Amino acid sequence: MLKKRIDIAMALIIFSAALLLTRLWYLQIYRGDEYAKLSEINRIRIQEIAAPRGNILDRNGQPIITNRPRFNVVWSREDAPNPDAVIKDLARILNEDISVLLDRIRAGTENPRYMPTRLKEDIDWETLAAIENKHLSLPGVRIEVMPSRDYLYGDFASHFVGYLGEISPAELAQPRYAKYQSGDQVGKQGVEKIFEEYLKGEKGRNYLEVDVHGFEQRQMQLQDPYPGNDLQLTLDIELQRAAEEAMADKAGAVVVMEVNTGNLLVMCSTPPLHLQEFVGGISSTAWNKLLNNPLNPLLNKTIQGQYPPGSTFKIVTALAAISEGVITPDASFFCGGSLNFGNRRYGCWKKGGHGTVDFQRALIESCDVYFYSVGMRLGVDNIAKYATSLGMGRKSGIEIEHEKAGIIPSSAWKQQRYKQKWQDGETLSVAIGQGYVLTTPLQVCRMTAAVVNGGTLYRPQIVHSITAPDGKILKTFAPTSEGKILGSAHSLALIKEALVGVVNSPGGTAKVVKLPDVLIGGKTGTAQVVGLSHVEGMSEKNIPYKYRDHAWFTSFAPAEKPEIAVTVLVEHGQHGGSAAGPVARAVYKRYFELKSGISGTASEPPPLAKDEKEE
Amino acid sequence: MLRFDRRLLLNFDWVLIVAVFVVALIGLANIYSSTHLYTKVGTPLYLRELTYYLMGAAVALLIVSIDYRVLLTLNYPLYIAMILLLLFALAFGKTIGGAQRWIDLGFFRLQPSEPAKLILVITLASYYYRKETGKGFTLLDLVVPALLTGVPFLLIAKQPDLGTGLLLGFIFASMTLFVKLRWTTLATLLCGGLSAIPIAWKFFLKPYQRQRVETFLNPENDPLGTGYHIIQSKIAVGSGLIFGKGFMQGTQGQLDFLPERHTDFAFSVWAEEWGFMGSVVLLLCYFFMILWGLNIAISARDKFGVLLAFGVVSLIFWQAFINLAMVMGLLPVVGVPLPLISYGGSSLLTNLAGLGLLMNIRMRRYMGTS
Repeated sequence: MLKKRIDIAMALIIFSAALLLTRLWYLQIYRGDEYAKLSEINRIRIQEIAAPRGNILDRNGQPIITNRPRFNVVWSREDAPNPDAVIKDLARILNEDISVLLDRIRAGTENPRYMPTRLKEDIDWETLAAIENKHLSLPGVRIEVMPSRDYLYGDFASHFVGYLGEISPAELAQPRYAKYQSGDQVGKQGVEKIFEEYLKGEKGRNYLEVDVHGFEQRQMQLQDPYPGNDLQLTLDIELQRAAEEAMADKAGAVVVMEVNTGNLLVMCSTPPLHLQEFVGGISSTAWNKLLNNPLNPLLNKTIQGQYPPGSTFKIVTALAAISEGVITPDASFFCGGSLNFGNRRYGCWKKGGHGTVDFQRALIESCDVYFYSVGMRLGVDNIAKYATSLGMGRKSGIEIEHEKAGIIPSSAWKQQRYKQKWQDGETLSVAIGQGYVLTTPLQVCRMTAAVVNGGTLYRPQIVHSITAPDGKILKTFAPTSEGKILGSAHSLALIKEALVGVVNSPGGTAKVVKLPDVLIGGKTGTAQVVGLSHVEGMSEKNIPYKYRDHAWFTSFAPAEKPEIAVTVLVEHGQHGGSAAGPVARAVYKRYFELKSGISGTASEPPPLAKDEKEE
Repeated sequence: MLRFDRRLLLNFDWVLIVAVFVVALIGLANIYSSTHLYTKVGTPLYLRELTYYLMGAAVALLIVSIDYRVLLTLNYPLYIAMILLLLFALAFGKTIGGAQRWIDLGFFRLQPSEPAKLILVITLASYYYRKETGKGFTLLDLVVPALLTGVPFLLIAKQPDLGTGLLLGFIFASMTLFVKLRWTTLATLLCGGLSAIPIAWKFFLKPYQRQRVETFLNPENDPLGTGYHIIQSKIAVGSGLIFGKGFMQGTQGQLDFLPERHTDFAFSVWAEEWGFMGSVVLLLCYFFMILWGLNIAISARDKFGVLLAFGVVSLIFWQAFINLAMVMGLLPVVGVPLPLISYGGSSLLTNLAGLGLLMNIRMRRYMGTS
């Protein structure tokens, strides 16, 4: 009887053994690979190593922005048996208040124990040496090395090159940044942002075996980071610096373009951004200061600043007038200082009048009355047609983001925008670059280049080539033409001749620009910011800064065979000739010095700041 | 009483010895692997376990040398001693991990709930041996054995140690079924038991115990909390694949992902490092040992021997089954060690004593009943 029950028990035991063996088979064989993967995920931590970003070079291969190691002091709890004494020592070495360090450590206690807490970023070499010397008495303190941007020329072309920042949650959500992780540095503005893909390089990976607490056990595999590609810009360090120096005390923009390629040699917007403030994240006080600065340093005035072009627009009106045949070059108009049209009086900038002026004199002396008359004959839509063909009122296609299109008004435009009919009187303002007309300095420069190069409109080019770290050229950028502008070759020649007169003939508005050995041509402009009624009767010095006129000068050289076009805008600079002209002159001077081989010592980077010196 | 004659030596059960020896070697090697990284001061754990093995062997030898029928007179004194120890543990015991289970003897921390299991086996075997019934037990007949089980059960459940408590219940159920119940008794018990489950769930189980069961049913709901043990153990076992990661190479065990890796989850370490092959070898040895125990029960010279051997087998079987099913994710996490494999002196001594009893019964199978 008991034997039978023992047999039952035996059967039950064998059954449970079979059950367990089946379960083992299920776990270890049927689903084994899955569990093997899970166990790998458990034990391997992948630490990413930031890649050195690609260098940014000027058109001659001179480095503008490179990388330097940045040393951060980090604190790892797991290695610190006696934190209080160490922190006290460390505070003295770092010259930091002990409470600051303790606050950071406290903030870090939320993180897993193995995760080091950053105590101080970007320490200088002396501090680094002090810590290294004492490292035996500072258990728990470690130095973390990260590549970071080194701005060899300070705020050089700061709006143009842009800056880096920690990737934001909004950016992380975009497919473009799919491979990024929070905490990564990413180009936020300018070239750094546009060419992010080329500059960023490939992160390295450190495969570490960790235990359940996250403590490292050993290194399993190390994949070195691969540096980013070098970006050779079209900018010329020397010219850019010449422009920046000349603009040092002014707010405005300088654009220099090679007339036969569209390559931009200078993209200067002042006041500059202080790029060093952005390294490791800009503080909110510094950011607010930038936001509230009346000189608007955050605006890249070369492509985002929209200003009435003033008299520089007379080039466009002139081209339209001759090409459309509404005037002949010889036809003269009488300027008595003003023109009555409708029930309004349209004044010339020269109150006494220019007397009888022909086409040449009208451009050279910038006679408003002449262009009022020409404008009336052309009509606004003809002017708009030529202006648009010269690249105005639309984006140039430069790769820098947030470019503004400006405005070139036409009757259709007004109808659409204001649901109003165009008034003929408004054409008069447009003819001299006032009224609704708005342009960016880049547009004016590009227009000038197209007029003097024989009529080809180039797309502005900012990058020369992209080179891989192994020296292989990945990409070159050839000049891209948008085709011919409207206007006959004859009319272009006439305009060019007149523009040379602006600088070189008596009565010209830009005689200050004249250089001894080189023939420069150009056109001044003064853009009204507010209606005359605001400033009526005030002497120039008494007009409040914000009501003062903008000063323009757009130009080219050498006149015989133009190579570069230089456009200068000085915000509230009042007079094109006296405020903007000298800036252009400085750029030309440097350009032709460099060309004739007088390079001087200026191609060396400026003296480095103290903490960067020992590199 | 001390009849240590030639026949006794001739009947020495080498099969059982070898089976236990193999399992013991596996257990020691496994404890070495899972604890060699521990930086605790003092004797390494595998050496301590070895010491317990030697102590256990001595205890087993002592048991073998005395006819097991002595237990028929010693059973109640043993039972009372057990109850006193459990009471003592509850009153003055050392609290570890939230449960008051240990009595500190200085050189040894005794966990009285371990010997309690074996003493319950002896008690029930004696009781059922004396209480002969032809047609099977009625409900009324079960009152006394149920009380004998219930007292230590409550004392242990109070510690709280649900796993060991339940184990007592399993031993009681197995042995009672073995001695035959009337089918009406069985039916009543089944109905009563089933209807008691919801009541026990609501009033008897502590919140953390309820949570363990809930977690078992859905471990992924709480992967970092109470589901963690089950998930990590399944990963350890599963990632062993066919041939395992190698001795002392198991990442789950060595890197501490596996909790309680030298005690309750010792088998996971083995399965991870030796794979399906090693696990099958261990299970086969293990179940061979258990089945051999049943063989001993069949061949016992008297009914007390049969009951005692069956009780010891059910003790070892239930511990093994519950533990293995738990580490493979088939049962909720309850603290039941794997006999001879999990680290722990009290458990090892108890199980070796039980195996000593088996040997004792085996060796005296041809002796006349006195």
